[in-house]
Amino acid sequence: MFSYLIRRLLVMIPTLLVISVLVFVIIQLPEGDYLSSHIAELQAQGEKVSQDEIAFLRQQYGLDRSQVEQYLVWLAGMLQGDFGYSFEYNLPVSEVVGDRLFLSFILSFATIVFTWVVAFPIGVYSATHQYSWADHGLTLIGFLGLATPNFLFALVLLYVANVVFGTSIGGLMDPQYVDAPMSWGKLLSVLEHLWIPVVVIGTSGTAGMIRRLRANLLDELQKQYVVTARAKGLPPIRLLVKYPLRMALNPFIADIGNLLPQVISGAAIVSVVLSLPTTGPMLLSALQSQDMYLAGSFLMFLSLLTVIGMFLSDLALAALDPRIRLEGGTTR
Amino acid sequence: MRLPARVLCVPAALLATLLGGASAAWAAGEAPELAARVAAGELPPLAQRLPASPRVVTMAQPGRYGGELRLLMGRAKDVRMMTVYGYTRLIGYNSDLELVPDLAEAVEVVGEREFTIRLRAGHRWSDGAPFTSEDFRYWWQDVAGNSELSPFGPPSQLLVDGEPPRVEFPDALTVRYTWSRPNPFFLTALAATHPLYIYAPAHYLEPAHARYADREALDATARAVGQRDWASLHANLFSPYKNLNPQLPALDPWLVSTPAPSTRFVFERNPYFHRVDAQGRQLPYIDRVVLSIADGKLIPAKTGAGESDLQARHLSFSDFTFLKAAEKRTGNPVHLWRTTKGAHLALFPNLNVTDPVWRKLLRDVRFRRALSLAVDRREINQVIYYGLAVEGNNSVMRECPLYEPRFRNAWARYAPKEANALFDALGLTTRDARDIRLLPDGRPLEIIVETAGEDTEQSDVLELIESSWREVGVKLFTKPLQREVFRNRIFSGATVMSIWGGLENGLPTPDMSPHELAPTSQQQLQWPKWGQHFETSGSVGEAPDMQAAERLISLNEQWRTARGREQRADIWREMLEIHSQQVFSIGIVSGVPQPVVVNARLRNVPPDGIYNWEPGAHFGIYHPDTFWFDAQ
Repeated sequence: MFSYLIRRLLVMIPTLLVISVLVFVIIQLPEGDYLSSHIAELQAQGEKVSQDEIAFLRQQYGLDRSQVEQYLVWLAGMLQGDFGYSFEYNLPVSEVVGDRLFLSFILSFATIVFTWVVAFPIGVYSATHQYSWADHGLTLIGFLGLATPNFLFALVLLYVANVVFGTSIGGLMDPQYVDAPMSWGKLLSVLEHLWIPVVVIGTSGTAGMIRRLRANLLDELQKQYVVTARAKGLPPIRLLVKYPLRMALNPFIADIGNLLPQVISGAAIVSVVLSLPTTGPMLLSALQSQDMYLAGSFLMFLSLLTVIGMFLSDLALAALDPRIRLEGGTTR
Repeated sequence: MRLPARVLCVPAALLATLLGGASAAWAAGEAPELAARVAAGELPPLAQRLPASPRVVTMAQPGRYGGELRLLMGRAKDVRMMTVYGYTRLIGYNSDLELVPDLAEAVEVVGEREFTIRLRAGHRWSDGAPFTSEDFRYWWQDVAGNSELSPFGPPSQLLVDGEPPRVEFPDALTVRYTWSRPNPFFLTALAATHPLYIYAPAHYLEPAHARYADREALDATARAVGQRDWASLHANLFSPYKNLNPQLPALDPWLVSTPAPSTRFVFERNPYFHRVDAQGRQLPYIDRVVLSIADGKLIPAKTGAGESDLQARHLSFSDFTFLKAAEKRTGNPVHLWRTTKGAHLALFPNLNVTDPVWRKLLRDVRFRRALSLAVDRREINQVIYYGLAVEGNNSVMRECPLYEPRFRNAWARYAPKEANALFDALGLTTRDARDIRLLPDGRPLEIIVETAGEDTEQSDVLELIESSWREVGVKLFTKPLQREVFRNRIFSGATVMSIWGGLENGLPTPDMSPHELAPTSQQQLQWPKWGQHFETSGSVGEAPDMQAAERLISLNEQWRTARGREQRADIWREMLEIHSQQVFSIGIVSGVPQPVVVNARLRNVPPDGIYNWEPGAHFGIYHPDTFWFDAQ
């Protein structure tokens, strides 16, 4: 078990390294760099930028160095905790990011909890009452949530919330609470706004979860030991919970690895549409203006969260399934 | 330039008011929150905060103090919009687009070469320090004249043929700029929406300047906050247009009090603001302005939900029906202001396209005229703009003194038969199986119009043009791209035709520069390479090789050296005539109304105004500092 943990931790390092190279390469792929989009914007506003100025700015931003050099500077900085400088905001990245990472984390966490809370009872019910009206009905709703585009669903819920409940449009809280210290009012306002993105992102994840849980549980319920237990007079609920459910939970927990990236990227789109103060909108605008360090650092943060999340899910799986603990590998 | 007589009367009128014993009214003429601060000893009394002769702004309804104005903006950078809305300039445009001194008490012009700016006695910065010619000296000698802060020299609007002005500071309240040749750009640059700043708070910035403080210590301080050296620290501190530094002393009506980054910026009133109303009460009326940053696409929805008190930015005409329906729910009326762009949308045939066949065809004026005649502008106006827009060329508006009906209407009527005749005369007579004409080299006459992909309105208009062009045998394809790619393709000559807004200033006076009509900038989508050639003084780009374009450039030069309004007007008219006959851009509609949503309780906002960036500063020329909240 211990060696398993150590191995998993050590694998994280090359993973993050490869991610950092990929992130850097992909951000630099489009023609030009931050400077060219910045100058294009200046010129569009009617300001004249001479060739000398461009060369000067290029040197000032450090964009005249080679790609490899820029990457190494960034990597070295990150390892020391200095995430670089945002060209667009003219501030160090850590100051620009601020609360957004924390709010992103809360959003993702709430979404995953929502997904579990919704998918679990529905999956169990669907499996135990296979082919009933409820089974079909709930599955249909799940698939509707999966099929509807996230942004459309978000806008519809936004409008409904505003007209029916009077919730202010967009954002994670009412405007007057934005800079105010935490209070009950602020918390309530956050919850009032949070349910929309959570429901929107969560529903696309629940459909998959429900079907997986249902399928696995059905497989288990067909097995011999269930028939034996039933014949021996075990109460049905206890029978269900103690044996088949624990087997069926395996993929449920292993799927966090799949769920996390889906939630984080789904959250980015929904955040942009709903104008939430999370990483999504800022990441999008940083990528569009090729603000290298801000975009790169964001992506590294998110990758780190994902990698750690998957590590925790593997840990949970190892705790849940003795076969993994004893054999030291994962089963999927 | 002659200043309106009433400007010279202002000091006299105020003197009369003072002698009339209005000092009692002045003592009460400040906001209650400022009066409280005066009583607590935090601020000097009003008489010491206002200049000896403040600017008196007359308005329809004198207002009451109080209230908080909520605005919505699309990006964090739009904090600079408060500098635009505040519109505090040395000399600025009034609502009739005449130049009136604002921060300056008077501006004397001699032969357009010598400009004397007289400041107001007792005028102070927002932190109480005096605003004097020392601030102009600091900017001229230590910012524009410092090789580390301005490695490329003073701004181009201060150079006449590369020659900088002779700057004199006769006394604490006077600054004089003199050139050997006329500089017609100086005053318009000072009054511009994105102005030329020729002053800086010397008392605040000197400690951050290497000439007055220890360079090593400054560099160390700069590196400690993540800046490269003292010069970039200074540049960060002094960014008056961008509103990024809450500690920077300013002269605007509201001062930013929230540091970046944030999604909600609060602007507090400036206790030393220099304008008063007719009763001597210090402006602004509104205590606070709150700017919330939200995604641009959500702003119409948020405005419809009543989250903004004064909104026009990010609202377009296509949101009008939604906002009108929302009027019932929120009670906030929607006004329609006039936009004054030469054309809301115009097609720009790229005369610098690299493909030789297209190049030859686009340069033939008959081809451009035929394309223009084949556009059914009335249909577009009716379908998309409910008939509220003005059909016609990309030219000046009807209210402009230079307007002639032929500028707007030449080649702009819908005449498919004439278009067909022109195409036939060009030799494009063979058609393929789809009834589309063929180019001389056998390719079908398919024009790919590229858009910046940001607006469905453009795609809708192109859809309608496509059907009317098909009648004359021209096929249109729309290609949405991302803005930078869109621009770069036009600049390189890969694009055949693009669609964008027309002339930025559709209400010019003869004293405004006609540079938009001549190939002077790479940003002009019909001749980017000629424009680039002009911008870089010949080092990059191509020289114009079309007689009409060369004439436009020479006329633009002549305007700079012209004497007298009449001569300038003649030059303008000739340039407009060339444009209307040569059809360098195919204008579609202009004067598309701009929805402006105003809180039901907000007064002094004109129900019908001009919504334009330059000149106009959106709300700037209507002085938001005179807006006030009524009780109900």
